[in-house]
Amino acid sequence: MTPGRDGAGTGRSAVTTGRRRTQVRRWFGTTPAKLWLLTSACVVAVVGLFGSAAFALDQARDGLHVLGRDAGPQAMATTQLYLSLADMDAHMADVLLMGTDHDLGSGREDALEQYDTSRAKANEALLQAASLTEGDTVEERNVQSVLDGMGAYERLATQARLLNDEAKAPPGRVDAGALEEYRRATRLMHTELLPKAFNLGLDSSAIVRADHEERQSAVGFGLVGVGVTGLVTVAALLALQMYLRVRFRRRLNAPLLGATAGTVLLTAGVVLALVGSGGHQRDAKEEGLDAAMALSRAGAIATDMQADESRYLIDPDMADNYQQVYLERAQQVLFRPADDLEAYYEAVGEVASSYPVLPGSDGSDPEDPGTFGYLGQDAQEALLPGQEDALAEVLESYGALQNEDRALRAAVEDGDLAGAIDIRMGVADSEDGVFQVYEDALAELIEQHEGAFREGIERGDAVLSPWTWLLPGGVILLSALVVSGVRPRLAEYR
Amino acid sequence: MRFRHRRTAAAGALAAVAVLGLSACSVVLGEEESLLDATSLTIGVKADQPGLGLEDGDGDIEGFDVDVALYIAERLGAPKEVEFVGVTSAEREEKLISGEVNMVVATYSITPVRKTQVTFGGPYYVAKQDVLVRAEDTDIQGVRDLEGLSVCQGQGSNSAVRITEGLGIDVQQMDAPSYSACIDSLREGNVDAVSTDNLILAGFLAEDPSAFRLVNHPFTDEKYGVGLPHGDVRACEAVNKAISEMYQDGTARELLDTWFGETGLQVVTSVPQFEGCG
Repeated sequence: MTPGRDGAGTGRSAVTTGRRRTQVRRWFGTTPAKLWLLTSACVVAVVGLFGSAAFALDQARDGLHVLGRDAGPQAMATTQLYLSLADMDAHMADVLLMGTDHDLGSGREDALEQYDTSRAKANEALLQAASLTEGDTVEERNVQSVLDGMGAYERLATQARLLNDEAKAPPGRVDAGALEEYRRATRLMHTELLPKAFNLGLDSSAIVRADHEERQSAVGFGLVGVGVTGLVTVAALLALQMYLRVRFRRRLNAPLLGATAGTVLLTAGVVLALVGSGGHQRDAKEEGLDAAMALSRAGAIATDMQADESRYLIDPDMADNYQQVYLERAQQVLFRPADDLEAYYEAVGEVASSYPVLPGSDGSDPEDPGTFGYLGQDAQEALLPGQEDALAEVLESYGALQNEDRALRAAVEDGDLAGAIDIRMGVADSEDGVFQVYEDALAELIEQHEGAFREGIERGDAVLSPWTWLLPGGVILLSALVVSGVRPRLAEYR
Repeated sequence: MRFRHRRTAAAGALAAVAVLGLSACSVVLGEEESLLDATSLTIGVKADQPGLGLEDGDGDIEGFDVDVALYIAERLGAPKEVEFVGVTSAEREEKLISGEVNMVVATYSITPVRKTQVTFGGPYYVAKQDVLVRAEDTDIQGVRDLEGLSVCQGQGSNSAVRITEGLGIDVQQMDAPSYSACIDSLREGNVDAVSTDNLILAGFLAEDPSAFRLVNHPFTDEKYGVGLPHGDVRACEAVNKAISEMYQDGTARELLDTWFGETGLQVVTSVPQFEGCG
């Protein structure tokens, strides 16, 4: 290895490299090279189309899956937490109100059983809430504090019940010590547990909304990606077609033409599937889940509202306050302008009788803002086709509930406590009480929205599922068509 | 030549579709406009409500509402310029709708009717209607003790109606141009009681704790919400989260203590039940 030889070697290799470069450049100028290049461009574009379509379809499937099987049902379960807690406190108030008469309404045993069932449901809902809010410290703390609060509530409520039993308190005359404990229990329930439970439900709706929007926008990006790669593929195929036509003076290359048509079909198919499944997903969320959750809240708040009747009866010192909160909760469920209960009863009666027209909704009376609340305009707007009857029944049973309330308070005014207690325990009767009728009517409406939710998810899935084999199959077919279109021409140069 | 021409046509078509795609894209992706994305924040607060929002001599506004608004603004993410402007009860909706303010924290009660024009975060506190009397009138222990006495209400308020009609108690209703005028009448002995939200009463009481007494027998709920532009769900959810944190980290308790600690007001220091953003 002398420096001279080495230098000469370098010189020679430079010459060779230069010659190779010229050869390569010349080769690129040849027809087979151009053919190879255009063909490769087509295949790369087809692979790109496959990639972008697979990505977008995957996003859409994920979105449906999360909404349909994870976050959606969990959010629905979290909404149940408030209902279960309110129901526990309602049954406890009823048990205290019954005192020694265990056969009022559907009976003390039944009330205690319902209490236990609600407690179990509350625990179940808390588990769901814990899983949905994992990683969110603010909400995790709320779950924890509801869990702790439930223990404290149960101790107070049990103590109240035991004291009342020991005192052998007659119906409607709760033992003073028992009442003191129950006041603490229900205050804990209403200042600590129920607000947090309600907020957890709202937060799970927020999680579902944010997740839904994020995924919809990811699918939107994917949609644009599919459109662009589809067009690039068509352009590449047309370029190849044109080149063959000019260079080989052939009219049309049938396989390439097929590949072009196939690309257009595949792109359009994927775009349609994405748009279609997105639409079904939106329907599932808005007409199904959101409406069902709003109506569940109407059930939960009404549960607490009707329990205010028992609290009103067992705690005369706080009766004014319980009467006022009854009206406030009632107006959350169904709002009509009313300063007091008497005006509210009238207004609710009008809603039920004028339905399907909601009073004040046409704006003809500037003094009348309209009919709002969970069962008002929102429920009306979220109605699915053919649901008018179901909502009419809910409104009617809600009106019946208010009529009973009116009778109950009139009995108290007349000093007829026993009559008032009879009315109250009749309302709360778990077999045929007016509250049960209302709950059943509402459950029917909620069930229909839940059905719309499941159907939306299923339809979305059905639109997407054929693409698990259509997409790879289509891409293989396209590639095969490109190759079979070009191979005879390349063969001419062997 | 034809080839070249076709190619330009194809490129043109491609460009056209790309543009269409982009606009479709912004429709698909476009998140609703939210004040969370704004770089500055103008918050409407009361400027004449002691303890809640009161202008001091130097043009600054201070009070419980102002501190709550500041806490929320800090939690809304990116560093923002925050400006406070005074609003009266009557102009709250109008200023929020016109965009003059982006947020209202001004003893703003959430009602179903207002919800048709305003999206409410919170409530950040549930005030309750209560009664303020002169310190020496120790006989009045509840709203029912007002039977036959005179009760003052500020203009545009219906707090006395809630006593007469809502509870069926026979009181003599006196009207004054504002609640501060009511307080003056109470001090001078022209009326027997003033009834409105307990936070408002406590604010007046804190200015002169020896002259008055809060009865502490609340009978209605007034949900103080954070008024936001109608439909701004993202901001509403962020505000709710901030309020939850305010209660969890003890700030709410501190603020209530700072502004109303000496009034004997029974405060709730647990997070209120939110209204929902939908």
